[in-house]
Amino acid sequence: MCGIIGYTGYRKAPDVLIDALKKLEYRGYDSAGISVLDKTIKTYKEIGEITNLEQNLPKIKGNIGIGHTRWATHGEVNKQNAHPHTSTNKKISLIHNGIIENYQTLKENLQEKGYKFTSDTDSEVLAHLVEDEYQGNLENAVTTALKKIKGSYAVLAMSEDEPEKIVGARKESPLVVGLGDNENFLASDIPALLKYTNRVLYLDDGELCVINKNQTTIYNQNQKEIKKQPTIIDWDIKDAEKSGFPHFMLKEIHDQPETINQVLRGRISEINRTITFNEAVEKTLQNQIQSINIIACGTSYYAGLIGKYLIEQLSGLPVTVELASEYRFFGTRNEQSLVIAVTQSGETADTLAALKEAKNSGSPTLVITNVIGSTATRIADSYILTQSGPEIGVAATKTFTSQIIVLLLLALKTGLIKDKIGSDEIYKYILHLKELPRQIREVLARNQDIFEIAQTLKNAQSVFFIGRGINYPISLEGALKLKEISYIHAEGFAAGELKHGPFALLTKDTPVIAAITRDATYDKIIANIGEVKARGPKVIAISDDQDTEIEKYADYTLRYPTNPKELSFSLITIILQLLAYHVADLRGCSIDKPRNLAKSVTVE
Amino acid sequence: MKCVILAAGEGKRMHPLTYTRPKVMLPIANKPLLERNLINAKSAGLKEFIFIVNYKSEMVRNHFEDGKKWNVKIQYLNQGEPKGTAHAIGTAEKFVDNFIVLCGDTIFGSSDIKNIMQKQPSIGLVKVENPQEYGIVQTNSQKVVMIHEKTPEPFTDIINAGIYHFNKQIFNNIKKTQKSPRGEYEITDSINMLAEKTKIQAINLKQWRDVVYPWHLLDANEEILQNIKKHQTNATIEKNTTIKGNVKIGKNTQILSGTYIQGPVIIGENCKIGPNCYIRPNTTIGSNCHIGNACEIKNSIIMNNTNIPHQNYVGDSIIGENTNLGAGAKIANLRFDKKNIKATINGNKIDTKRKKLGAIIGDNTQIGINAMLNNGSIIGNNVYVGPGSLTSGEIQPNSKIF
Amino acid sequence: MKAVILAAGEGKRLRPFTETMPKVMLPVANKPVLHHILEAVKQTPIQEVILVVGYKKEVIMEYFKDYKNLKITYVEQDKQLGTAHALLQAKKHIKQPFIVLAGDNIIDQKSINNLIKEKSDYAILIKEHLQPSKYGVAIIEKNQLKEIIEKPEQKLGKYISTGIYKLPKTIFNTIQQTTEQGDYKLTTTIQTLIDQGTKITTIKADTWMDIVYPWDLIHVNEIMIQQTKTQTSGTIEKGVTIKGSVHIGKDTKIYSGCYIVGPTIIGEGCEIGPNTCIFPSTTIGDNTVIQPFTEIKNSIIMKDNHIGSNSYLSHSIIGRGTILRNNFSSVSGKTKIQIENELKKLDHIGSMIGEDCTIGSNTVIEPGIIIGRKCKINPLNRIQNNIQSDTRVM
Repeated sequence: MCGIIGYTGYRKAPDVLIDALKKLEYRGYDSAGISVLDKTIKTYKEIGEITNLEQNLPKIKGNIGIGHTRWATHGEVNKQNAHPHTSTNKKISLIHNGIIENYQTLKENLQEKGYKFTSDTDSEVLAHLVEDEYQGNLENAVTTALKKIKGSYAVLAMSEDEPEKIVGARKESPLVVGLGDNENFLASDIPALLKYTNRVLYLDDGELCVINKNQTTIYNQNQKEIKKQPTIIDWDIKDAEKSGFPHFMLKEIHDQPETINQVLRGRISEINRTITFNEAVEKTLQNQIQSINIIACGTSYYAGLIGKYLIEQLSGLPVTVELASEYRFFGTRNEQSLVIAVTQSGETADTLAALKEAKNSGSPTLVITNVIGSTATRIADSYILTQSGPEIGVAATKTFTSQIIVLLLLALKTGLIKDKIGSDEIYKYILHLKELPRQIREVLARNQDIFEIAQTLKNAQSVFFIGRGINYPISLEGALKLKEISYIHAEGFAAGELKHGPFALLTKDTPVIAAITRDATYDKIIANIGEVKARGPKVIAISDDQDTEIEKYADYTLRYPTNPKELSFSLITIILQLLAYHVADLRGCSIDKPRNLAKSVTVE
Repeated sequence: MKCVILAAGEGKRMHPLTYTRPKVMLPIANKPLLERNLINAKSAGLKEFIFIVNYKSEMVRNHFEDGKKWNVKIQYLNQGEPKGTAHAIGTAEKFVDNFIVLCGDTIFGSSDIKNIMQKQPSIGLVKVENPQEYGIVQTNSQKVVMIHEKTPEPFTDIINAGIYHFNKQIFNNIKKTQKSPRGEYEITDSINMLAEKTKIQAINLKQWRDVVYPWHLLDANEEILQNIKKHQTNATIEKNTTIKGNVKIGKNTQILSGTYIQGPVIIGENCKIGPNCYIRPNTTIGSNCHIGNACEIKNSIIMNNTNIPHQNYVGDSIIGENTNLGAGAKIANLRFDKKNIKATINGNKIDTKRKKLGAIIGDNTQIGINAMLNNGSIIGNNVYVGPGSLTSGEIQPNSKIF
Repeated sequence: MKAVILAAGEGKRLRPFTETMPKVMLPVANKPVLHHILEAVKQTPIQEVILVVGYKKEVIMEYFKDYKNLKITYVEQDKQLGTAHALLQAKKHIKQPFIVLAGDNIIDQKSINNLIKEKSDYAILIKEHLQPSKYGVAIIEKNQLKEIIEKPEQKLGKYISTGIYKLPKTIFNTIQQTTEQGDYKLTTTIQTLIDQGTKITTIKADTWMDIVYPWDLIHVNEIMIQQTKTQTSGTIEKGVTIKGSVHIGKDTKIYSGCYIVGPTIIGEGCEIGPNTCIFPSTTIGDNTVIQPFTEIKNSIIMKDNHIGSNSYLSHSIIGRGTILRNNFSSVSGKTKIQIENELKKLDHIGSMIGEDCTIGSNTVIEPGIIIGRKCKINPLNRIQNNIQSDTRVM
């Protein structure tokens, strides 16, 4: 969530820090701040976006500094709460990404000793703690201070008394070292560094790093110096462009015909009727798997639910889907249980924690992610990349559809391995998948219809999404999209569940959106729509082109191409993405950077 | 006086060998190009070096480290985006006074380097047989008038050799240099700017070798091998082996019975050679290689960890690292009509001007049993050439040919 | 020096292909026309290109978002009023003499270089053409341009205007004047200058090709594909014969028995064969499947297509995402096409089929037929007339 950067070298530190923070802005953007050391430490903080900070920064000199862009977890958004935090004697500047669980007690102790606090944050505690422990050596002070806290951290610290060094430490919050020539970097992630260097060292939990402009030294959790091999990042971070679209999210929705192709590339063969993944994944799948656990958060969790429907249907294997934050408390684990983690960024803290637990209990692990080189890919036995290019809009769109297609391919593959389906079935699905980009183009071409429906929703207080079978998690995702970017309260339900409680919420002012596929669930959901209408709300149905029945029941119907039925769920999703987009746009919401949200949540 | 060596380039015309290594790390007689330049520069008296790196810089850094092994000091500067020679040299500004610049992928001799060190500013010139491939230099009584762009009709056969001696003045010219028509900041433009105001000495070189395409490495390999000495002390050599001429064998290498080696040949460490194989002149074999029974290798470069294990013929070829030839796989190196062999690099068909050229094979490639590689074939990295197949032309990395 | 490239036009005469992309993005030899032009410009001293976009600009901006060889600045023409008006949009980026090009005309780098080297302030590239009366004929006097006459009825000369000029920045003032009088054509502005006594030098161009109608793409494809470099990637099974310059993209699979003769380009992620024949001057886009016993020659098959077995295509264009079921036949032949009150005679043309169509098995399409987007044609049909987009043929 928060973005952090530290620099020491020959360039002008303020320029490097601001530039890097801009690249990290997607991680959190309530406020930002930098500290630059040039004889004394000068700190500047502003609320709002990085450009605010940039414009209000005076001309300062210095070749060493640290910077932070904040996504608030403790304390409101204001200048004092922004990082970096300075210690009472003003000689130590510190940045912290993470949560300090015992900060209250520590704060009280420090205040008793005479330390003066200026913010409401938990992070500030560390700055004063380091000052308290400081006896001339910054890394020792930081190490001792960190021993006293409970929680997670990625920390950067500088001291006026040691003007050449920056100390960084990591526990459950990402931190990488960028190796330069006559300069070195510490950052929360790689995009901040790529302009300057592509040689990085990944820090592991419990490690501490000291950088000055010519050297980097890493200590393990026992304070012993260790050597690490640099990783070369070949990946070209291209500055994502909106390419003429008004918002990244709209562009990414329109990327979907092409991203589906990218997911399929090299993995399906129509002539051979096969689905092939990379070697590590193939090996993982050859284990004697008896069950599958999918762990994920947010939109990826809903992708997991879709994966459950697909895998159970096509392979017969039992599948559980668990919220990563809950997995550590429950969750089945054994060696015949394949654990699949779904995480777009590969850095989601909850998912990483769950993945580590799974690995420790001996389960084979597989990650579905969009980011090559992410922490998740380095923990799991194998990984499948969704290859969808950077997704800048905070609300996931193309990465969600890519995830569900990957899960479909996995379902087909496991079905083949378990002999539940044959190559004919695979062939049928391959033909459907190849047609999918064309069907998505068709759906995108019906934008105007979706826009008109969005008009009817823009003033709603509450919207309900219902679906049956695989359309149930599609409805959950649809509701999430709407609430994420338009701030309208929305909830998804299994259509059959409404009558067990939620009916009480229905009024004529609560529109209901029904996701419909004309399969075995059709008759029942039509009946559900009847029940809903009887209680007042307007019903917007999403069904295929040849469904004539639905018009008798729904007030409005949005259509998608009839075939292939097996993939209608992905077409419905795209309609719901566009619907959410238009509603948010009509309400004037900040679509690419919704309030209070960050793209990759790296705190638990 | 420091020596700046330009070592940042990929060397696209050296594909497939440069997909996994920068051009300066290509081995000639088992030492990287850059190391040969380092040794020659050190003999000329230079002790402090700055390597301008970028493409796969890790390989350069890992091999040379801080230079202690050669008793020199090496500093690295990352060029960042490849913007041209002037830009590369410009990155060294804060770290040098009077300094030498060498193109790391061209081999220079130490007495020439010593000559260049005497006068500044100066540039090295050399006479070549194909001046139309290079920038030619117009001089007037040993002073540089202008460096001209490559032209199909050159008025002289004296070209810019790629070695310079500058003082800090050049950085002013570099700052003012505009992008050339091919979109880069070229040091030749900076030099031309400098030549307008200052006398730049032109110094003729006696030794110079440029490697552009993979088969040029075979020429360079041959040249270096002429000067090696016999050395086989740390190797295990069984009875009934014949070793003639200058043959250098690395430590822990085993030469098994029946092996016939005609020097000059270099074999690296930890190799297993034989039994019953024939290694002919001008061959360099890396470390950890296995050359097995009934194999014949001639005038070739075999890199580390590669196996030519049973009944293979490899002539006038270059084979990368971690590559395997299946039993019976052979390489053709001569045309029936005995004309020049043409090879395709990056889609461009090139006359190699060689009557004999086998195959250029990249790293991590598997050649199946009884496979046949035609003369001039260029096989990329991670390629799978199926058993019994005939392959010609250029095969891209990660392909499968059945 | 900068270049202004006009890429805002729709290209209505190139429908149905321009229903989803601007005409500058139509592919020949597997790259959009505009990409070929930028590659030519890249080899000249020009370092920045001002791209005037309009119709479906997202397609252009998305395609070139990672293009590194030249600096591209986009300006928008809100209403497609005419060439002079389009050029006017670039005014604030031009402070020195510049080149103006049309984004849909193929031009070679040597001609552009000659134009740049020309010393006079105003210069135009002219081309010797076999059928000059289809274009603006350039009337020349002593190497100076005297007049451009659009589509003259009689034979007036053998040179036509390519629409490629070298101009000084003062041209914008002249354009302002002529557009105020309601005429938005660049040729009018040029004529005004000539009438005022301005000297415009003429320079002969080497390669120049215009794309006006869909069948022009076939011819341009044939010429541009000559520059194809051989590339062998993907998986090539045993028993495949590849001759000449054939480009095979990565992740593509060529199955046994295929016979491929270059110059031919096959994109990435395709599956060809077994036993399929691809003959010269054929471009096949990414992710396309071509089933066994099919023969394709002199054709442009765009991305994501599916061509069923035992099909025959010659001199044809298939738009993206189309499914042609087995025994599809699109023979090339002579035909006359009625277009804009004119009867055009074409010698070698097959059919031209838009995006996202589904064509049932055993369908035969007569030469010169144009089928729109998203059409569905039932099996065993013989198509002898053009078909509009979104039509169903029973």
